[in-house]
Amino acid sequence: MLKSEITQIMVMERTDYLIAGASHAALAAMHAIRLVDADGSLTVVGRDRKLPYSPTALPYVVSGRSDSNLVFLRDDAYFALARTSYRCGHALVRVEPANRIAELDDGSRLQFGKLLLATGARPVIPSIPGFEAVPYHVLRTLDDALRLRAELPRTRHAIVLGAGLIGMHAAENLSKSGARVTIIELQGQVLPGYFDAEAAAIIAGAFERDGHVTIHTDTRVIAAEAGPQGVVLRLQGGPPVTGDLLLVGAGVAPVVDFLSGSGIRCDRGILVDASMRTSVEGIWAAGDVAQAASFYDARPVLNGILPNAVEQGRIAGMDMAGDRTLQGYRGAVPLNTYSYFGRHAVSVGSATAPPGAEIIVRSDADAERYLKIILDEGRLHGIFAINTPLDAGVMWQLVRRRTDLTPLRDRFLAQPREAGRALMSRLWR
Amino acid sequence: MSAAAPERGFLVCDGNEAAALAVALARVDMVAVYPITPQSSLVEYLAKFVADGRLQAELVDAEGEHSVLSVLQGAALAGARTFTATSGPGLAFMFEPYLRTPGMRLPIVMSIVTRDTLTPQSVWGGHQDAMSVRETGWVQMYCETVQEVLDTVIMAYRVAERHDVMLPVNVCHDGNYLSYGTARVELPDQDVVDTFLGAPDVNWHAALDPERPMAVDPLTGGAGGAGPALFVRYRRGQCAGMRHALDAIREAHEEWGRLTGRYHAPLIERYRMDDAEYSIVTLGSMTGAAKDAVDGARERGRRVGLVKVKTFRPFPAVAVAEALRGHGAFGVVDRSVDFAWSCGPLYREVLTALHGITPAAPSQSFIGGLSGADLTVEQFESVIETVRHLRDPGPRDTVWLNAQE
Amino acid sequence: MAAYNTIAFHADRCDGCGDCMTACARAKTASDSPRRARLQVLADGAGSFGLAMCRQCADPECVPNCPAAALRKNTETGIIEWDQAKCVNCLLCTVGCSYAGIVLDEVAGHVVKCDQCGGDPACVRTCGNGALEYLSTARIYNEVGALEDLFVPGLAGCQGCNTELLMRHTLRRVGPDTVLAAPPGCVPGMGAVGYNGMTGTKVPVFHPLLTNTAAMLAGVKRVYKRKGREVTALALAGDGGAADVGFQSLSGAAERGEEMLFLVIDNEGYMNTGMQRSSCTPYGAWTTTTPVGRESLGKSQDAKNLPLLMVGHRCAYVATASTAFMTDFYAKLDNALQASKRGFAYLHVYSPCTTGWRFPPRKNIEVARKAVESNFVVLWEYTPEAGLKLTHPVDDPAPVKEYLEALGKYRHLTSEQIAHIEHHIVANVAAVKQQASAQP
Repeated sequence: MLKSEITQIMVMERTDYLIAGASHAALAAMHAIRLVDADGSLTVVGRDRKLPYSPTALPYVVSGRSDSNLVFLRDDAYFALARTSYRCGHALVRVEPANRIAELDDGSRLQFGKLLLATGARPVIPSIPGFEAVPYHVLRTLDDALRLRAELPRTRHAIVLGAGLIGMHAAENLSKSGARVTIIELQGQVLPGYFDAEAAAIIAGAFERDGHVTIHTDTRVIAAEAGPQGVVLRLQGGPPVTGDLLLVGAGVAPVVDFLSGSGIRCDRGILVDASMRTSVEGIWAAGDVAQAASFYDARPVLNGILPNAVEQGRIAGMDMAGDRTLQGYRGAVPLNTYSYFGRHAVSVGSATAPPGAEIIVRSDADAERYLKIILDEGRLHGIFAINTPLDAGVMWQLVRRRTDLTPLRDRFLAQPREAGRALMSRLWR
Repeated sequence: MSAAAPERGFLVCDGNEAAALAVALARVDMVAVYPITPQSSLVEYLAKFVADGRLQAELVDAEGEHSVLSVLQGAALAGARTFTATSGPGLAFMFEPYLRTPGMRLPIVMSIVTRDTLTPQSVWGGHQDAMSVRETGWVQMYCETVQEVLDTVIMAYRVAERHDVMLPVNVCHDGNYLSYGTARVELPDQDVVDTFLGAPDVNWHAALDPERPMAVDPLTGGAGGAGPALFVRYRRGQCAGMRHALDAIREAHEEWGRLTGRYHAPLIERYRMDDAEYSIVTLGSMTGAAKDAVDGARERGRRVGLVKVKTFRPFPAVAVAEALRGHGAFGVVDRSVDFAWSCGPLYREVLTALHGITPAAPSQSFIGGLSGADLTVEQFESVIETVRHLRDPGPRDTVWLNAQE
Repeated sequence: MAAYNTIAFHADRCDGCGDCMTACARAKTASDSPRRARLQVLADGAGSFGLAMCRQCADPECVPNCPAAALRKNTETGIIEWDQAKCVNCLLCTVGCSYAGIVLDEVAGHVVKCDQCGGDPACVRTCGNGALEYLSTARIYNEVGALEDLFVPGLAGCQGCNTELLMRHTLRRVGPDTVLAAPPGCVPGMGAVGYNGMTGTKVPVFHPLLTNTAAMLAGVKRVYKRKGREVTALALAGDGGAADVGFQSLSGAAERGEEMLFLVIDNEGYMNTGMQRSSCTPYGAWTTTTPVGRESLGKSQDAKNLPLLMVGHRCAYVATASTAFMTDFYAKLDNALQASKRGFAYLHVYSPCTTGWRFPPRKNIEVARKAVESNFVVLWEYTPEAGLKLTHPVDDPAPVKEYLEALGKYRHLTSEQIAHIEHHIVANVAAVKQQASAQP
């Protein structure tokens, strides 16, 4: 080794723990590390030049419910108390696992003992002819939210591309601010992946009735162009849609491009095991960027939801710090809570019923009430509800613990909330 | 109960009141009391003095003598000047903490209003109670007069609290004869007593004080290690304190005489001994009658003298030996019994003090005045006659006075 | 890390009446609707009840699941606080909670959760069955834990003995301005007073006679009172010295109202000197002076009820406590300490002796608890003003046989002897209750 290289290494900054990313997974990992290791040096690198915040909060910044100054999940005092160096406004651009060196976008190099990649995802921009020439919004950063919020008062007709959670939240916000809204969704229903078609129809109905939102499902955009009235989207098998604002909510994709050449195995996201370890020793991944086993069939899946990020982040942090109380990841369970136009929907578990599963549906479309329970061999496989009070956390536990509900099947089916609570109360004690 | 005594000057009172007055003059911080005949009026006086504000002390009416002395131990360890008084069975009941007091080097002053011990059942005077505790390490002084009771209780604090002594003191005055016998006494001025005693400084060596945390009297001793030598150090320290007490008693009496003009003999009193060819030895209030008998015998041409022992513990062996050496036969009159030797305990002490002095003097033990019996001038005259006829050193059977109905 | 107070749920005492929910709804929503309560009593369908309520988790799952920083654990109180101004109503917090402790109140239109009513929970106040209990145990850890341990390290108690625990906690609480009396027994036996010129504590300590603890302390305290100094006189005594040979001085000091805190650690005999009988030794118990032989089977008399005798003195404070109920003990210790500033405070703590009672060291707390749960030991407190009150009434006691069977010292008991003990327990509880029903 050359003398100059030695010098370079010696002056290189070193941190025992390096966490790339500053949202839920990163913060959960940091917390878990500090519970066990109070002394190891810890550095958190966040892409945004801001204190940590949650992408999940952004629709509420757009709507004005959240004060953009109050959405931050941590403050400087927290990092100081946790003796953690928080470097915001920087992103990882390269990882050299062999030397355990991470390079930041300002060219600085950090030597790490252990690295957590919690770099999240970025919006997917559909490859549609002409799309690169039209103005559009996405909603992934606080700046995105503020830009979109600024547009609300002057928006008369908005087009929302994608009926996922981001798209639906944005559509509601735009509608409430007085705009006419058109949602275009490639798949056959809104909120695919969380709700079945019947539930989705109930939700869509509320949007149409209360928000005067036009929803085009099963609809593909074949071209985009800028017109005098704004953006014009040409649809397959239908008239074009014109709007003065276009929001793209077509999903997100893990940010993994900077890992090329690092040797870290990726599929759509970074592949991790039950301890959130990547294929390379000393490097972990968690949250939206990670692709971990599904709860149901162990296939590696993306599960870009907040509770999942928290759980994976904690597991990664515990494993990095050598916390011996760690229990491995039990697998990704899709779940979400969703409030819209004063209604509440809950989805826990897989909406895909396995063969032989018992499916119970109680639906009252007029009252916009819906409940679907899928039991697989007496165990809760998934439960989905609209305007039917349900404790999502309790249901998640029943699913992941594979609690045998056979002894109280009837009670559970009649009153899933009460039965679930009683069960968890007993399990707790 | 007599009317409250005047603040200064003279008054007529009994020995119990005299002791109580001395306690007030000594500005005792705490008195703990339990009544018992013939001490009761003493503690009644104390309670009255406290009630009247004449004695500004904490008064603990304890449920028994055992607690009386225990309370005082705690108080002394917290820095208080303390007093109590007891008698006979009360002293016996107090024995457990009593035994412990000298070892803790607590300068507690306690009057023993002497009483014969049970059994036979008795409520009358005799020295048996005080004599029964003579080997426990307390200082013991026996008073002859009511005035001496008052003066000695005050002096006792000066002795007890002297830093090279730090031992508890019993001031013994005879039940019935001194407890209830009245006499004219001179009351010292308060400022004289204040000067004489100074402020109490009683727990500089061992304290129960959060400002000076320490363990008071943890277990000490054992088969090995530091314990045995430490235990010996404490024991030898007690003996040194007793030796120093002899000097402290002398010094206190000297200073008290200088301040008040009343010089009491500190250890022993030699009475008409200069040319004495034989003598009698006495203890306590009997001495008055004994002196009258000596005076009468002298008038009849007998060359008889008297040695009164005031300080019995520590025993003033040198002074006793010097007083008796070369003065022929002696008789010792005791008011209690030494059961081991079937003689009086003072007699045995005197013999021990004279051990090795030759030629050995003829001697005789007399025991009288038990359980309240009077010791009269006539009895002492017969004692003197008996001693006059003693020729060889003995041993002899004890003469029991008051043995005839 | 700080410890926090908490609301405990004793399922075995819950009858599902729902009063707690009504009380909560009234306190929090100005409605009577139990559905809006922040705790939900749940029938499990088999006759018993569960509870859905915020557990105020130490490392909560709801907090990190909030995207809007509307939830935080207050490190002072331990309460997980919800900030309405920040909440975006996304309900993701409910995903984090396994116990339905944070739920949507549809009327209010947002999530709600228990905040323990600022330390005086309405539900606990309402519960007549004792099923809900506000545990202030945290105070023990936070306040007392921050106080200095005033005993030296390394006291040499028997394995499993909890007297050392009791001593250390007591002296921490009572504090450095204390004069401590430790009469002969286990307390000085394990080194509390020290040996050979060395001390066992950081406060002034002494070894009174077995007989005169209360009297010596009275003397000490009176002097400091006279000097105008605030000093606590504290005795850590055994049952033998207090109930037998020291009873006279104890009684005298109590009658005179001497200001002190007299704590008796009752291990039912002279355990330090080889497990001899005291008057606090229960009927039937083996000791080395009530041995088991052909002619006799343990002690043939019932124990003296010393604390009730102290009530007869109308002390400023009298209480019984158990090492298995430390919250109760601490409350009583505080009360006793306060009372000791105005009179005689007597605290009688039942403390099982692993060595002398013949049971495995690990079971000490369990044995202490069984004694209370079988009414073998009754927990109460007394002041002349309020009279006697049971602090842990056991209306449906566990069979005393379970307690007796746990202890080697009762191994020989005949069924007649067990019947005698059962009868005695009933009589003793009745005696305590009779005292409790008497007008103060």
